Amino acid sequence: MSSKLEARELVLVREGRTILDGVSILVRPGEGVAIQGPSGSGKSTLARVLSSLLAPDSGAVLLGGRDAREIPPAQFRTRVAFLAQQPAMFEGTVLGNLGTGPQLRGESLGKAQAHELVRAVGLDESILPREARTLSGGERQRVALARALANAPEVLLLDEPTAALDPDAGERVVALLRDLRARGLSVVMVTHVDAHARALGGTLYRCERGRLAVEA
Amino acid sequence: MSYAHISLPRLLLSLGLIAVAIGLSRRSRLGLERALLWGALRGAAQLIAIGYVLLLLFNHEHPAWVALLLAVMLITAAATAARRVEHGPPRRLLFPRAIAAIGAGTLVAVVPVFAAVVPLHPWYEAHYLIPISGMMLSNAMNVVALVFERIFASARSEADQIEALLALGATPRQALERQVRATLRAAMLPTINGLLTVGLVALPGMMTGQIVSGTAPEQAVRYQIVILYQLVAVAAVAGLVAVAFARRLLFTSRAQLVLPG
Repeated sequence: MSSKLEARELVLVREGRTILDGVSILVRPGEGVAIQGPSGSGKSTLARVLSSLLAPDSGAVLLGGRDAREIPPAQFRTRVAFLAQQPAMFEGTVLGNLGTGPQLRGESLGKAQAHELVRAVGLDESILPREARTLSGGERQRVALARALANAPEVLLLDEPTAALDPDAGERVVALLRDLRARGLSVVMVTHVDAHARALGGTLYRCERGRLAVEA
Repeated sequence: MSYAHISLPRLLLSLGLIAVAIGLSRRSRLGLERALLWGALRGAAQLIAIGYVLLLLFNHEHPAWVALLLAVMLITAAATAARRVEHGPPRRLLFPRAIAAIGAGTLVAVVPVFAAVVPLHPWYEAHYLIPISGMMLSNAMNVVALVFERIFASARSEADQIEALLALGATPRQALERQVRATLRAAMLPTINGLLTVGLVALPGMMTGQIVSGTAPEQAVRYQIVILYQLVAVAAVAGLVAVAFARRLLFTSRAQLVLPG
């Protein structure tokens, strides 16, 4: 079951620069949200604050109506998954990478589950025994997505998932995100590529100088 | 006394060894001449000074004086360990933590040994307490300096890994586990190498000193074994405490990575 993710009046100032200037956003269960904007507009910072990896100076993030600060960080982050622009691969195989989330909770990932995960991100089983750090950019992005999905999150937050990919691979990742959305996952994607923002389908926001506006 | 006395002229003669190094530095244009000379003079001055301090202390053995000297040694060790950590937190944050880590490591190694292995009479007997604590403080200092140097640097260079783990629901302890393990291994390694090569490569200073000044080699060896084991405990405890502090400096209470500096 998906919960709504909400931000209220987020403000973040670093070294005298206002990076987030009172940002509010509501992501309904199963909704797709694309946040677009030039580099330095604060959109990546917003994704990091929404994922609780960064604390705002003021304002609040709420998950399912509950203040994120009242939810244990590990629990919040399993429910709200975050993917960095170029996700780090952990040492070891793809299979090992996929099992990281469950393993952190003392659980293990079954073989059938691993197969299901790689298929969900458009890869096949032959990738499982490969060394994760030898993968291409597009493969890494997908493996990172599968790794996040292993935690069965309710919301998926992605920071520029297509920026480091060639146009083809980028479009395939967006199509994949649209699929995941169709299966009930909320997807929030930060991007500077207009076509990708529109291709996700859903609400389109524009981020400029630390403020957020709905785009028609 | 059965050992050969070193007269002052003969002591000065040993400066010739520094002259050799200075000559080589000049020839190879290493630019180390000033540092060598300064180091040689400063080292000698510090040792001569501590010689007089020890003489005074042995003649007026009082727990307060012994404690004062130990405190000065501890503060100096901590200040050195907290110095110049590149990309690390400021010194004012590291210094008190270095005191705690070095102090904890030294206490764990020193107290049980003086309680059970080398009983002191009186309990503040400076002859034993000062030199042995000094060795422990020095080892703890090196371990803590190495831990601080390495853990903040690796947290910075591997921040994307650490944050990826946090994003998957890792606790700070889980997220930093790899870096902690590598740091502690590196910090413990010199002490472990010391255990493996002792007697084969180097005869340790304390044992050498005792033998030179007339202690039976068999007793000097036993002292040295105790010291070596103490050094291991010091390295382990000081290293672990320093890592625990570093972890607290690297993460907020909400498990967010904050890179200092």
